[in-house]
Amino acid sequence: MMTNDAGTPLPIDVREVRHSYGEREVLCGLDLSVAPGEIYALLGGNGAGKSTTLSALLGFIVPSSGSVRVGGIDPAADPAKARAQLAYVPESVALYDQLSARENLDYFLALARAHRSPDTIIAPALEAVGLPQHAWNQRVGGFSKGMRQKVAIALALARHVPVLLLDEPTSGLDPRATLEFNRLIETARDRQVAILMVTHDLLSAVDVADRIGFLADGRIEEELAAGTGSVRFDLNALHARYTGTRVAA
Amino acid sequence: MNVRVIRIGLEEWRSLARNRAGLVATLLLVALVLVSALVSFERRAGIEAERAHYQTLVDTDFDNQPARHPHRMVHYGQFVFRPLSPLAFVDFGVDSFTGNTIFLEGHRQNSANFSEARQSSLLLRFGQLTPAFVLQTLAPLLLIFLAFTSVARERERGTLRLLLAQGVSGPQLLIGKLLGHGGIALAIGTPAFLLLGWLAASAAAPARIVVLLVIGYAAWLLLWAALAVLVSALVTRSRDALVALVGIWMVVVVLLPRALPEVAATRTVLPSKIETEITLHRALKQIGDAHNPDDPYFAAFKARALARYGVSRVEDMPVQYAGLVGMEGERLTTGLYAKSARAIEAREGEQNDFVRAFGTISPLIAVRQLSMALTGTGLAAHQDFLNQAEAFRYRFVQALNWMQAEKIPVVNAGEDPRVSADNWKTIPRFQYRPFVPTSAMIWPNLLVLGGWLAGLGLLSVPIARRLGKATR
Repeated sequence: MMTNDAGTPLPIDVREVRHSYGEREVLCGLDLSVAPGEIYALLGGNGAGKSTTLSALLGFIVPSSGSVRVGGIDPAADPAKARAQLAYVPESVALYDQLSARENLDYFLALARAHRSPDTIIAPALEAVGLPQHAWNQRVGGFSKGMRQKVAIALALARHVPVLLLDEPTSGLDPRATLEFNRLIETARDRQVAILMVTHDLLSAVDVADRIGFLADGRIEEELAAGTGSVRFDLNALHARYTGTRVAA
Repeated sequence: MNVRVIRIGLEEWRSLARNRAGLVATLLLVALVLVSALVSFERRAGIEAERAHYQTLVDTDFDNQPARHPHRMVHYGQFVFRPLSPLAFVDFGVDSFTGNTIFLEGHRQNSANFSEARQSSLLLRFGQLTPAFVLQTLAPLLLIFLAFTSVARERERGTLRLLLAQGVSGPQLLIGKLLGHGGIALAIGTPAFLLLGWLAASAAAPARIVVLLVIGYAAWLLLWAALAVLVSALVTRSRDALVALVGIWMVVVVLLPRALPEVAATRTVLPSKIETEITLHRALKQIGDAHNPDDPYFAAFKARALARYGVSRVEDMPVQYAGLVGMEGERLTTGLYAKSARAIEAREGEQNDFVRAFGTISPLIAVRQLSMALTGTGLAAHQDFLNQAEAFRYRFVQALNWMQAEKIPVVNAGEDPRVSADNWKTIPRFQYRPFVPTSAMIWPNLLVLGGWLAGLGLLSVPIARRLGKATR
């Protein structure tokens, strides 16, 4: 198990993981780690194994071999403890349409056994994600995808956990909403949250990620770190690489 | 109990409260339970008052008959009415099909025992708006409509992954859903349960019977709530859950309870009314003819009677011989009727045993049998009434026959011998002893319902485990 300089386990640490669905091997020796305060964008074509990686981190599947750790905890062995370390935002933001934004947060936080004070936890979280105050008590059934995304992020922020898993978070968002979303997860990064973002959205990844990994055939084929200057990544090179990966995938 | 489980259960209630269609349907059903209970309660009270009124009327008429020959009073007869049990408002059972009025007279067993209604399978019919009908037939359908999406929709809209990601385990989720829908199921039965509780508290009905009735119906409702939640957890799509559950409802509630009695009737055929009467008539003929001096049976009877009184002629007897012949004839015909009734009862028992055996696969049969047994409206209660009435008829007729033997002069009785009208008041009156269900009528049915609940509990273990994992 990898540790940081202080000797504490990495928030996300995946080593040599293999997993198959029937005859088809989806993960073929996946290595991946995310440090506190880091945003890792995992890019890959359909069927590359992105969602399976998230499922392994969430403890929904038990890998055939290899090691998966969330804050040093094996999600397959102790899913409840591992899930207590992470917040997860699914691709299609699943909320209860009959509940308001506040009520959704209250319900999920209650189930997560997290603090859920309306004034000190829920309201600040909704405010932090920029959800208009008049919408807080409205049923989310009438919300746009962007607003629902904000509620889901607010839930993730309100839980104050060290790991954030995002599944295609910007899919279906317009450019402005994507930009707002990116700023939001930067605030989480500033709070030393380790963020794994599974995405098809190259622009968003370039905008916000500290590292970008290309997942193909069930393993990281190439990993790039953001530059320190004004140009964080070479977008053209990445685009060529990504589309090539997609063709190869 | 686990906080997550309680919260998930409460969320089902909130979800129901905000689902207009579901809420309206639930409130309508609760209202229907309440209305059916109150209407049935009033109806039962009305029927009971009417029966009491007519019982008094016919008793008074009997008492007020003029001086007559006792044998004419044997054929004047008595009407008896079966009082309805205080709990009959819950379930009228077979009451409407069997009738509760019997005309008792000499030489004949005029009773519902040989009515056409009893020749057909009558155990599982319904049609009246009673709490039993609403709870047995309609409530399961509502519980299905409220719960078929309970877990499947979480999976369909993606909230299942999000719930599990909050640390909720499969068993916690399933137990929470069961708790929520179990609570809704019990709430549906509450109006009827409260009315029953009030009856028990006011000593109008035995508390033990009321408790067992509430347990039985609560188990029945919980069973459907649990079944709906488990099927919802088992399938991928909520519409599949709905199709499966409605299919189960149709088989368990509609098809089996109607088809099984028909099969039972085909397997064990009951004689028709006319067939029974012809058989009895032939048997009566075979006994002998009291008016034929050469009849061997009655010749022997006469010899025994003369010997008993130490005389050589009937005219020398201290009692009227015709009265003794009447008593003997009644004894013989009653024996024949009893034998015939026992044979039919045995065949009905075979039919019922066959149907009851299927209670394990159709818990409606179990809850219906339990309900009718506890409310005193089942076939057993009806049979008990018939037996009591027949026993009384025999005593009543024999009392009049003995009155004839004792009070009508042996010789010189005249053309139209009569006894005083005062004598009619000395004739016994029918006193109905309320039906008490036996343990065999209660516990096997409760065991079937408990067994179903336990079976669903066992089934929930692998379903809950699967629920925590099947989230690709």
